[in-house]
Amino acid sequence: MSAVREPDVTAVGPTPFVVLGDPAAAVCEGDACELPDQAP
Amino acid sequence: MSETLRVDIWSDIACPWCFIGKRKFEQGVRRYAAGDGALPVEVEYHSFELAPDTPVDFEGSEADFLAGYKGLPAAQVAVMIERVRTIAADVGLAYDYDALRHTKTLKAHQVLHLAKARGLQLELVERLFTAYFEQGRHIGHDDDLADLAADVGLDRDEVHAALAAGTYAADVAADIAQARTYGISGVPFFVIDGRYGVSGAQAPSIFEEGLRQATSDRAGVEV
Repeated sequence: MSAVREPDVTAVGPTPFVVLGDPAAAVCEGDACELPDQAP
Repeated sequence: MSETLRVDIWSDIACPWCFIGKRKFEQGVRRYAAGDGALPVEVEYHSFELAPDTPVDFEGSEADFLAGYKGLPAAQVAVMIERVRTIAADVGLAYDYDALRHTKTLKAHQVLHLAKARGLQLELVERLFTAYFEQGRHIGHDDDLADLAADVGLDRDEVHAALAAGTYAADVAADIAQARTYGISGVPFFVIDGRYGVSGAQAPSIFEEGLRQATSDRAGVEV
């Protein structure tokens, strides 16, 4: 059924962006949602 | 050029930093909006499934899931949960990890795309985050999702039909593929006006800075 609609995420565009802020800010990757200083 | 700043956010409902990051982003937007020359901010959420192997039905707490199902050390899990709960409280969120119903979020993402099509995506994002982290509601079954979607004004029957038909499955897959193209490996991830990326639950000032910079860029282009 995936052909029912066309995806609609083209608005973002392919232009690379400048990353702001602390590169070690809290994120979740996979099942890991730890603070950076908790990483093993 | 549009007189609206667009912010695209990759996020998963099961991501504790995404709800916290949402609150910090909202604070940043309020600070930005209070300043001179602020443009309206248009926000769109995109799907990111953190753990596709998560079962829809997991009997146990979040701690049980992380320690038992994923094999993380129990002590590490306890510390992690408590720290996240404390940081959530700092932004006004009452995370209830004892009640949290760990589940697969793929269908929730499909309903979020339906909500976007009906102009109710932001309302449903907030409803699902609250349901998952603060109210111990299940967000993996069709009936539960239909109930939560109805809370923000979506039609229950339409939710059931869209899930049964997989109407928005391609949109979810496209969001995830777009994230991969951008090199996004963790969420939340914010793209401001297609120019600035903000990774993680950053301080409100970072979002405010990004919005101001994007606004300045617009002015430079348009002069």
